[in-house]
Order: sequence, then structure tokens, then C-alpha cells
Amino acid sequence: MTRTAMKGNEKQREAKVLKKKNVAASSSDDDDDSDVERNFALLTERGRGGGAEEGQLHHGGEEDFSDEDEEGSDGGPEEEEEGGEEAPDGREEEEEEDSDASEDDEDEDPEAAGGSGEMQTTDGVKNELSNMSFEDVMKLQNKVGTKVYNEVAYGGSRSHAAGQKKRLNKNRPMEISAKRRAPFLRHVVSVKKPTSRDPRFDDLSGEYKPEIFEKTYNFINDIKQREREIVQKKLKKTKTNTPHKEELKFLLKKMDNQERARKSREEQRERELQFKRARRERANQGARPFFLKDSDKKKLELAEKYQDLKKSGKLENFLSKKRKRNAGKDRRKLPRELQNKRFQ
Amino acid sequence: SHVQSKEETDYDETPQEKKLRLAKLYLEQLKEEEDDKAEDDSFETDLIAGRLQEEVVRLMPPDASEIRVLRGHKLPITCLVISSDDKYIYSAAKDCSIIKWDVESGKKLHTIPGGRKGTEDRHVGHTTHILCMAISSDGKYLATGDVNKLIMIWEAETCKHLYKFTGHKGPVSGLSFRRGTHDLYSASHDRSVKVWNVDENAYVETLFGHQDAITGLDSLSRELCVTAGGRDRSVRVWKIAEESQLVFHGHEGSIDCIQLINEEHMITGADDGSVSLWSVNKKRPLSTVKKAHGCHGDAGLEQPHWVASVAALQNSDTVASGSHNSHVRLWKCGQNYRGLEPLFSVPVTGFVNSLKFSSSGQFLVAGVGQEHRLGRWWRLKEAKNAIYIIPLKRKLPNPEEARIPE
Repeated sequence: MTRTAMKGNEKQREAKVLKKKNVAASSSDDDDDSDVERNFALLTERGRGGGAEEGQLHHGGEEDFSDEDEEGSDGGPEEEEEGGEEAPDGREEEEEEDSDASEDDEDEDPEAAGGSGEMQTTDGVKNELSNMSFEDVMKLQNKVGTKVYNEVAYGGSRSHAAGQKKRLNKNRPMEISAKRRAPFLRHVVSVKKPTSRDPRFDDLSGEYKPEIFEKTYNFINDIKQREREIVQKKLKKTKTNTPHKEELKFLLKKMDNQERARKSREEQRERELQFKRARRERANQGARPFFLKDSDKKKLELAEKYQDLKKSGKLENFLSKKRKRNAGKDRRKLPRELQNKRFQ
Repeated sequence: SHVQSKEETDYDETPQEKKLRLAKLYLEQLKEEEDDKAEDDSFETDLIAGRLQEEVVRLMPPDASEIRVLRGHKLPITCLVISSDDKYIYSAAKDCSIIKWDVESGKKLHTIPGGRKGTEDRHVGHTTHILCMAISSDGKYLATGDVNKLIMIWEAETCKHLYKFTGHKGPVSGLSFRRGTHDLYSASHDRSVKVWNVDENAYVETLFGHQDAITGLDSLSRELCVTAGGRDRSVRVWKIAEESQLVFHGHEGSIDCIQLINEEHMITGADDGSVSLWSVNKKRPLSTVKKAHGCHGDAGLEQPHWVASVAALQNSDTVASGSHNSHVRLWKCGQNYRGLEPLFSVPVTGFVNSLKFSSSGQFLVAGVGQEHRLGRWWRLKEAKNAIYIIPLKRKLPNPEEARIPE
């Protein structure tokens, strides 16, 4: 039993080495095949040198088994005839178990791969083949296919994948490799990948013009108003001393600030427009247009600000704060002896 | 040496004379080549002239009385093959039996009975529907493939069972021997094409590429086979030596049957009723005939009759298609295989599940059943499960017509 089991191992390992030639085997063990094939794809990608160590592993293993083979060669065929029906079942089970083990081996080996593993493995395989019984050889041939078997046993001279075959003209049929399995899912409709574009940097959106932008997206301000009201209501409802209330307060303040900033920007624009209109009128009347300096513009703005503050009654407040600030700034410019001294 | 020196002195020529001599020599050589070429051309034209005479000959529809009916199968016939010497017909039916007929006498020579499902170990033969058959060109091996993923090899003479090929993972739907060899190509619903060597009872290799079950396979003498891909609407030519495939697209329905006309052209039939003519050099069909067998069904819900089988007369321009509208239609390929024109139709009731021309072109064999070979969508009670041997007569050109070119 053990001998046939070990022969099964041997055969299975050989089948895997033969499958290394990037060919899918025909018969059973589809799940094993797919895992094994993936590993072999890895191995073959490594310049087909792959496991130098693996080859040595094989050699090591062979020495043990070849002795047993020689001993058992006389009784071998007889045993196999009797145990022929039992062996396939046993072998299949062991294949499944062993494939996991040897897959781990093979996963590790490519990492430690050396150079000319190729030569060693084919020699190793030929050695093993010469030791295997004829029935095993036939079974192996059946499993892997005579083409691949002949290549390995008698030296493979297959030029790997002729490469991209170019069509002469576009009416001719496409030529592709016949050895790749077709994907399980069929390509029915081509799904377009959603491309994302940033409107800030995309030429399609044009240049940013604030007036046009404000005009077209004016409706957002209404939405913002409504949202502010909702937040205020929620703020009223929440109980004090919860972190949520802090967040809501923060949010409300942020909204208000943004609104204020937007308003001030609008006012700025209004002022600019007024100046423009004034200039145009003057130009129409014949006098030369009037251009203000920046400092003059600032003075006018300040004047307007004072007007507004007076209306709301906060002028005194504002002015005192400003005096304090200016005083602090002026003090910094004094010489060092006088800086900390208070005005007496 | 005295004589030599005399010749040399005589031979003393100016460069111009030398040029002239060489030019004449060259011209003579060219003339010789031209003569040889002319010989070859005339030889070829003789051949063409001979063939032209045959082309002018027209195929005539037979009389209804001349069609022979061979009855023997109890269930619908699914496939048949004719031996290359046109002496024997092998047919298979849904009862999983295979019958060898003698063409001359119409007698059954051998019957391989079908087994019941579940008796695979005991029974020598098939236990599920046989979907395809092939015979080697020397008439030695017969191969049959069934739904149970098996390919059985029989000795054609004695109908003795030889080998059983396992390996496919789905029903075997196409089989063909490479002409002149014992290489067998098989196609299956598991989307793979496998190559087998029958002499050595060995599996050679597998080829992949189809995205749907393969519905038909054919090959000629090159190491090449063509397959029809069913619902993926592709026809693929497999270059086995180079391990590559050429992909052709066409048809709107599932491509159900395919046959090679010569090494460069093939014909396919689909379940949308269309028949297409293809060339190996073009990725789309050269010509398509839509609704080749008409439509059936209620008014407003008409569906075209499915084309169940196609056949082609080797290296000629005659092709045939069969469906279940009670006619086998024969078509003629136009000049350079550019078009398909209808020739005539032969009345045959039932589902024409398989069509084959004899290699000499003397007759056309149709395997007919009450049901489609792949299922039981319809059942035509008035049809007979039989083999129809349709003789094809040739009408020679009139003597007056022949005299005119002369």
C-alpha cells in the first residue's frame, strides 16, 4: 500500500513539473489544477529557472524512492494490477492532501531561487521517468497529453508564444493564443469607467467670473438661510452641557461668519460698480474719467463704516477698542526704558 | 595551347561587342523562362477548362420517387457519417444506438444497441444521446461522442469497440478526423477543443478560447480545425501546430452547425434561420442568407425556422441546409464565393438533424427525426425517424451550347 501510495506521490509531483510548461492538464482535479497552475505561472515567470532548490528537492526525494523502486520493480506490476482499482481512489485523496503541502513548498522555493534550475529539473524528470513503471508513464501521458510529455522527455524546443501576431489589414480575423483559458464571465457590454473631472482645473468649465457665478447660483443663498434657521431651532431644543450643543453653536457661528463674509464681498463689488458707473457718466459727459487711489478708496470705506456704526450705535465701542490697540502698537515703538513705564 | 591561343585571339572583342553578346545571352535566358511559364500556363488552362465544363453542369432536383428512405431507428436520428468510399452510412439516434447501413442495398449491416442510463459499467456502447460522429478517411476508425462526456472509438468494418476517451468535462458536441491521418479533434460543451491520437490511444493536447459551448467542429486535410461557438457568435479556426486561433464574428443567433467547403471557406447555420458563407481571410461572413428556411408561428409572433444542419460538397460550390420546414435547401455559392443563391429544395418532412454529401457528389444523405437533435422543443408527428438518400442528378449542357465556344 505504501509503495503504491508513494508511487502516486511521485507521479503527481512529476505531473506538476510537466505542467510547469504552462499547459493546463486535461482531466480531473480541477480545483487542485487551478491552484497548482497559479503557482506554476509564478514559477515560469521567474525565467523558468524557478526552483533550483525544488530540483534538488526532487533529486533528494528520488534517491529514496528509486531504491525502493528497484527493490519493488519485480513485484511492482503485479501489485499494481491487484491494487489497480484501489490505487486511483487512494491516490486522489492523497493528491489533494499532498498538493497543499507541496504548494507551500513551491511557494517558498521561488523566493530562494537560484540560477539554472531548468536544466536540473528536466534532468530530474527524465531520471524519474526512466525509473517509473510503464503503466505509470502511460497514465502520466494520458493526464498531461502526449505533446507536453514528448517535449519534456525528449527535450522541448518550443519557442514560447510567438508573441503579438499582427494582422495584415483590419478585415482579417484576429489571431490569438489557443492555450489560454477563456475567462468564465463573458464580455457582453462594455461598461464605461466613470471619469472624474475637477471643474476648477478643467477647460470645459471656462474661467471663473464671480459676478456670473453669483448670479447663477443665487438660489444657494436661500438654501443656506433655511439651513441656518433649522440649525437655530435645533440649538434651542438641545439641552445644555452636551457636546452636541457646542457643535451646533460652532456650526451656527460658522454659517453666520460665512454669510457676513459673502455680504461684505457683495458690498465691495457694489462699490466698484458704482465707481465704474460714475466714471462712465463722466466719460459720457465729456470730462475725463476719475480714477481713485487705493488709499483714497480705503478712506471712503472707513467713512462708510463709521456711518454704519453710528446707525447701530456701536461707534463708541469701536473707537475705544481701536484707541487701545493703537496705543499698544505705539508703545512697542518707544525706546526700551520707557516701554514698561506707565504714563503718569 | 597553340589552338587555345588562336581561339583567344579570334575571340578578341571590343567592350561593345561583349555587351552585345551578354545582352543576347540574357535575352535567350528570359525567352527560355517565358517558354517554361507558357507551358505551365497552358497546362493549367487545360485543367481549368476541364473544370469549367463541370461547372457548367447543373445539379437537378430528384423526383420524389427516387429518394430512398432507410428506416430502422426508433427515435430521432441525431447524426450520421458516410464512409469515404460512399459505400456505408453510419447513423446514430436518440436511443443511443449506432447502425451501419449499406448504401447500395439499403440493408442494416451492424447495429450497436444503446444502453440505458446507469449501465455505463456493463454496457459496451453509449448510454446517453450521441451528439456527433466522425469516420477516418481510410475508413478504419469510427468515433462517436455523447452527452456523458465520452468518446468511443470503434473499428469501422466490424463495429467492434476499441477505445474510450475520457477527459472532456462536458457533452462532446463535435468530432472530426484529420483527413489522411488518425488524428481526432473533439469539441465539447466545456468550451475546449481536444486533440487525440487514435493509433496510440493517446490524448495530445487541449485548446481553449471559446466563451460558450461549442456546437460543431469540422476539419480537412490540414492540421487545422474550425469550430462553431454557439451563443458567443464566433467561429474559430484552430491552428493546432502553431497553437493559435483565428476568431471570426457573425450571426445574430446561436451558431449551431458548421462545415468546411474547401480549405479556405466554410458554411454555418444559426438558430435565427440564417446561413452564412465565410472565408478564412475575412473576419465577417462573405455572405449571409437570412431566414433561409422561412418562419413559423402565429401571425405577428413569427420565428424563423432554426437551421439544424449544413453540408457542403467538397471543393465545389454546392451547399445544403436543413431545418424543420419540410425542405432541404440546396444553395450555390456565387463567383469567388461572394454570394449564396438558392438552387432548389428537396421535400423532406421532419427535423433534418444531419446532412452529408457523398464524396463523389452523387447523393446527399439526410438524417431526419421527429425532434431536434438537441432537445424536444417540438415534435412533428407526421415525420419519420429515418435516413433519406437523395440522389443528385447532373444535367449536362446542351450540345448546341457546347459548340458555340468552339
